[in-house]
Amino acid sequence: MTDAVVIILREVLEAMLLICMLMASSTAMGFRFRWMGLALLVGVFGATAYAVRLEQISMAFDGFGQEIVNSALLIAIAALLAVHNYLAVRQLFNPQYRVPYGLLLLVVVGTVSMSMTREGAEIYLYGYAYGVLAGNMAAVFSGGAIGVGIGLSLGTFFYYGLKSLPRNKRLITCCGVSLVLAAGMMGQAALYLSQADLLPSQEALWDTSNVFAESSLFGELLHAAIGYEASPSLTQVLLYLGSILASLTAMFAAWFPYRKASEPAVSEV
Amino acid sequence: MSLDTFFSALRHSCARACSALVVSIVSTSASAQTLVFEIEIREHLFFPAEFEIPANQKVKLIIYNRDATPEEFESYELNREKVIVGNSQGVVFIGPLKPGEYPFFGEFNLKTALGKIIVK
Repeated sequence: MTDAVVIILREVLEAMLLICMLMASSTAMGFRFRWMGLALLVGVFGATAYAVRLEQISMAFDGFGQEIVNSALLIAIAALLAVHNYLAVRQLFNPQYRVPYGLLLLVVVGTVSMSMTREGAEIYLYGYAYGVLAGNMAAVFSGGAIGVGIGLSLGTFFYYGLKSLPRNKRLITCCGVSLVLAAGMMGQAALYLSQADLLPSQEALWDTSNVFAESSLFGELLHAAIGYEASPSLTQVLLYLGSILASLTAMFAAWFPYRKASEPAVSEV
Repeated sequence: MSLDTFFSALRHSCARACSALVVSIVSTSASAQTLVFEIEIREHLFFPAEFEIPANQKVKLIIYNRDATPEEFESYELNREKVIVGNSQGVVFIGPLKPGEYPFFGEFNLKTALGKIIVK
């Protein structure tokens, strides 16, 4: 059962942080949570489809289909998070600006469902093989429920923390969270591409596993939140920094038309 | 010890010896000059659970999952993770690595599926 707790918790952490950040920032942009149902639905569908087709997908692209799909999903999420930051900064400096609902929907449903597709597929495979087929439903599902429970409580804590901030600070903090989440995902994409030998791999630049082991709960949390790797390669670090730069550029582009205004506009929302 | 358990133990140790042999045969692909190593997953265990690879060199690892259940080959130290569905195989490239020990595990069987790559 403890296996199930660890496996499920690891998989839900990233999606949970993403969902909480988007919930906090979409309320600051004047939207409600109606997108959530659609995002979860698409996510569950994506995860199931990915899991069911995993064997064929894995065999595609010379046996590196899994790496290619995973990195494509991660890169797409990171790109949509940069769009999120653009919209958030634009809204910050111009409260009259109304984020188009379709665009917001694309960002939130796209990121959440793609993140769920990747992580959820593993949960599906594990639950199906070791729970349903092995006749071990009680242990796997109670363990899974505990894992989800821990994830949800951390998420609740995180969401209310963000929500307690005034609107402008909340938007800026959400941008910061989105920035590091996206960078972490690009770092992971670099790993998958190196694993498939599509990007060069080098010896680790440094090793901080003695300080924070990646396998510890704190290490896992850091990994989900900021893409912490104890021993990253140069390729990984470059993609990580590249993602931060791209996101900052998007934010700068959103701010540029309003540079004459010295302060972010104050809004009572 | 019943005859059945004796034979099963015998089969097990033979299989172990064979897979150790397989891994010790290091093949070099002609085009890329990349070393290839093979490991097997059987009954949620890795065979061999421990093997050596050379330092500062990229290595191709082929993982055969002989179980009907899926497994995720994973290692924090190697920065690798890959799901291998039941009765199939997966390839991951690892390295170049500094000398040292690099543990790996099967995420779906954290207590049994444990192994270690020794880089020399």
